[in-house]
Amino acid sequence: MAGSNEVNANECRMVVPLNTWVLISNFKLAYNMLRRPDGTFDRHLAEFLDRKVPANAAPVNGVVSFDILIDRTNNLLARIYRPAPPNPSPATTPLADLHRPPSPDPFPVIIFFHGGSFAHSSPNTAIYDSLCRRFVSLSGAVVISVDYRRSPEYRYPCAYDDGWAALKWASTEPWLHGGKDAKLRVFLCGDSSGGNIAHHVAVRAAESGIEVSGNILLNPMFGGNHRTESEKRLDGKYFVTIQDRDWYWKAYLPEGADRDHPACNPFGPNGVNLEELPFTKSLVIVAGLDLVQDWQLAYADGLKTAGKDVKLVYREQATIGFYLLPNTDHFYEVMEEIKNFVTSNL
Amino acid sequence: MSSSFRSDVGTDPCDSVGDDRWWMASASDRGSSRGEIDGLLQGAGYRVRSTDLRHVAIGLEQLESAMVGDQCAASSAEAVVHYNPSDLTAWVDSMLSGLAPDPNLLRHPQSTATANAWADPTRQRPSSLHRLENHQQHRNVPAVSLQSMEEEEDAAIRLVHLLVSCADSVQRGDSEMAGSLLDQARLALARVNTGFGIGKVAGYFVDALCRRLYPPPLCGGGSAANPEILYHHFYEACPYIKFAHFTANQAILEAFQGHDRVHVVDFNLMHGLQWPALIQALALRPGGPPLLRLTGIGPPSPDGRDALREVGLRLAELARSVQVRFAFRGVAATRLEHVRPWMFQVAPGEAVAVNTVLQLHRLLGDRASPEGGDAAAAEPIDTVLAWVVGLKPKIVTVVEQEADHNKPSFLDRFTEALFYYSTMFDSLEGGSHRSGGHQTQQQQTVVAAVAEAYLQREMCNVVCCEGAARVERHEPLARWRDRLGRAGLRAVHLGSNAFKQASMLLTLFSGEGYCVEEVDGCLTLGWHSRPLISASAWRADDDASPPRDHQTLLVLQDHSSSVVDGDDHLQPAA
Repeated sequence: MAGSNEVNANECRMVVPLNTWVLISNFKLAYNMLRRPDGTFDRHLAEFLDRKVPANAAPVNGVVSFDILIDRTNNLLARIYRPAPPNPSPATTPLADLHRPPSPDPFPVIIFFHGGSFAHSSPNTAIYDSLCRRFVSLSGAVVISVDYRRSPEYRYPCAYDDGWAALKWASTEPWLHGGKDAKLRVFLCGDSSGGNIAHHVAVRAAESGIEVSGNILLNPMFGGNHRTESEKRLDGKYFVTIQDRDWYWKAYLPEGADRDHPACNPFGPNGVNLEELPFTKSLVIVAGLDLVQDWQLAYADGLKTAGKDVKLVYREQATIGFYLLPNTDHFYEVMEEIKNFVTSNL
Repeated sequence: MSSSFRSDVGTDPCDSVGDDRWWMASASDRGSSRGEIDGLLQGAGYRVRSTDLRHVAIGLEQLESAMVGDQCAASSAEAVVHYNPSDLTAWVDSMLSGLAPDPNLLRHPQSTATANAWADPTRQRPSSLHRLENHQQHRNVPAVSLQSMEEEEDAAIRLVHLLVSCADSVQRGDSEMAGSLLDQARLALARVNTGFGIGKVAGYFVDALCRRLYPPPLCGGGSAANPEILYHHFYEACPYIKFAHFTANQAILEAFQGHDRVHVVDFNLMHGLQWPALIQALALRPGGPPLLRLTGIGPPSPDGRDALREVGLRLAELARSVQVRFAFRGVAATRLEHVRPWMFQVAPGEAVAVNTVLQLHRLLGDRASPEGGDAAAAEPIDTVLAWVVGLKPKIVTVVEQEADHNKPSFLDRFTEALFYYSTMFDSLEGGSHRSGGHQTQQQQTVVAAVAEAYLQREMCNVVCCEGAARVERHEPLARWRDRLGRAGLRAVHLGSNAFKQASMLLTLFSGEGYCVEEVDGCLTLGWHSRPLISASAWRADDDASPPRDHQTLLVLQDHSSSVVDGDDHLQPAA
C-alpha cells in the first residue's frame, strides 16, 4: 500500500535525528537481506557487513578492553571492559593489571548480552563496543560482553547456556569480587534479545543460589502467540515489523514451538512461577514506539505480580536503538537511570 | 513506491518548517563544516559525510521500497557482491544502480530540500564523540586460555610478568638483572603446563631471551632445517597460508579477466604451492585460458640444483595437462632488493600481477622514531615498490602478518610478539583436529610440531636479532596501507564474494575459532577475534575501475592429493 508506506516514512523520520535514522534503517535493510524465507540465514554476508572493532588494551577515554576465552568446548568468548588502571601506560596495559580489581571499594560487574534478535551482532560489533565502554564510564564497572551462540545455527537454550556459563565464570574469578567483603556484585544487562537472555539467566541464578544485584533490560525481546494492540498499531512504522519478529522467534525457539514457549513469553500460559524464587530486582526500559512494548509492559507487570521489585522507565517517543547514539535526551536520561540503578544496588 | 520525497511541495505538513529544522539540527549536531564525516556514525563503524546523510537516507528508503515487492530480498541480495560496507554512501549507491532502471527511482538532489524533513523534536545534545584510537596504536590482547585452577592462572600471569620484566632489563642494558629474571622465569615455567597454552609459548620465549642474552657462537637463531620444509608444514597445519593463497588468487583471477596474455611475478616461489589452483582456475575460465607466464623469485640453491627450475617444471607439467599455455622463469636472488624488473622481461600488452606473501616486511629497516615516522634514507622497500609500480601491474596482492613487530623499542616488540605468537600457537592447538582430514592423528601431530618450529624460528628472529639480521619486521595493515598508497598504488577492494569463499574455505579445512573479517576492503584472518594475517590487493595501471561481474570462481584444490580429470592424471601438486 503505497499510501501507508508514505505515512510510515514520514512518521518515522520525525522522531529520530537523521544520523540515527540512517544507522537503524541501514541495519533494517541489511538484515532484510540476510533472513531467508526458508528460515536459514546468510551468516557469511552478515559477518561481512557487520562493522567490528578490535579490543584495545591501551586506554581510550579511561577504558580498556580485552578478549578472553571462557569455555573452550563451545569457543565461548567474551570481551571485558574495565576502567584503565591507575598510572596507565599510554601504550598498553600489562596482562596482570587487567586482571586486578578496578577499585578496593565495591564495584559493579555487568554481564552484558548484546541485542540482535538472537541472530545478529557480536561483542566486537562497533555499536555494542561503544555501549559497553559507556557503561564502564558511567559506573566504574567491569563489563563482560558475552559472545553467545546465535540462531538459527544455535537455537534455544544455547544463548541461555552461554549466559549462564559466563555468570558462573564470573563467580569464580577472584578479581571480580570487590570490596572488603570480597563479594561479586553482578548485574545482568541486555538489549533486545540480550534483555531476554538476562531474564532467563537471572532465573537460573535464582534457582541455583547465585546472588544477582540487579537486572537491566533495555527494550527486551519478548512475545507471545496473540497479537497485541501495540504490535498491530506500530507494525512497520518504526523500523520493525511483526513479520521480522516472527522470523526471529521461529529461528530461535525449538522447531515446532510457538511463541507461548516460556523463553519467548515468560509470564504466559507456559511460564515459570517466580514467587518462591529469590529473583533479583529489575530495571526495565521500554520505548514507546517499539511494537513489542505491550509484551514488555506485561513482563514488568508479571514481575510485580510475582512480588518482585521492578522499576519501569517508559520513554514515550523513543524508537528501538535509541541507546546506540548519544544524540537525544532518551539516551542521556536512560543512561542516568542505569547509572543510578547500578550504584544504588551495589 | 513512496513518492514522499519527490517534489510534492506544499502537501507535506512539515514543508514550511521541515527544512529549517533539518538545517538547525544539522548545525548543532556538527558545530563545524558540514562536509565532515559524521562522528557518531563513525563510532558505529560507518564513514558518511554529514552532507551525504540525506542522500544516503533517501537511497535507503528507495532500496527498501524496491525490496517490499520482492518476495525474497535475501536471494536477490546474494547475487550481489558487496564492497566496503563502511562507505555507506557508495554501498547504497551501488545497490541502487543494481536495481532495474526505473525513472521513479532517479534521485533529484535539488528537489529534496523541501520535502525531506528529518526533524529533531527532542533537544539536541552536543555529540560526545567516542573516537577509537587509530589502529596503529591498538594493542590486541589475545584470548589467553586461563586454567580453571587459580594457582595455574596466577603462575601463567606471573610468568608473563617475568618475561616482560626481563625484556625491559635487556632493553635497559642491565644484563645482570635480565639474567636473574630469566632464571626466575625458568623456575616459573616448572609450575605451568608447558604442553600447551601460555606455558608452551612462554618456554619458547624464555629460550629466545636466553639466546639474545647469551648468543651462541653461530648466529642466525634458527635450526638447520630447510625453511621450505618448515613453511610447508605450517601451510598444512593451519589455514593462514591457504587463506593467503586463496584470497590472492581470487583477486588475480578477477584482475586477469579479459586479458589473454598474463604474467605473474611471485616474490617467493618456495614449492609453488599457490599456483596449481590459479592454473586450474584459468583453465576453466569462460572463453578459455590466457597464455600464462610465471616468474618465480627465490634464493639460489646451495647444492648446485636449480630448485626454482624444478618447481617451474612441475607447474609446467600441470599446466600442460589442463591445456594452459605456460612459460616459467626463475630469478635467483639472495635478497629481494637485488632484483631488477628487467629480469622479468615483461612483454608489452601483458597483464601483470605481482604477488608477495609475507615478503615485503623483509625490506623494511629500523623505524626512526617511536611515533612511527619512517627512516629518512630510502629503504629497500621504497626501491622495490617503485619498480613494482613501474611495472604498471593490474594487481598486486599483498599478504602480511598482522602485528607490529618493528617498533623501535625492544620491549614493545617483545610484548607484541608474546601476544601475537601465543595466539598463533593457541590456534595451532585449537584448530589442529580438523586440518586436512586425510591424515592420521600421528601425522597431524608431526605436522603441527614442525609448524611450531616454523613459528618459533620466525619469533626468534623478532626477539634475538637486530640490524640486517632482523628480517621479520612485521607491520600492521594500517601502516602498509599508508606505505603502498604513498608509493603510488591504489587499493582494490576485496568484496563479499572473496569474504564468503574465504569463510567457506575455513569451514572446510579448519576448526572453529578462526574468523575472517573485512576491514576497509582488505581481509584478515584471525583466531578468537585477534587478526593474525591480512590480505589486500592493489593496482598501478592507468585503467578506470575494474570489471565488477565475478562469475569466475576459484576451484578449491587440496594440494596433497591428485586430481583426476577424465583419463588424464594430474601430477600431485608440490
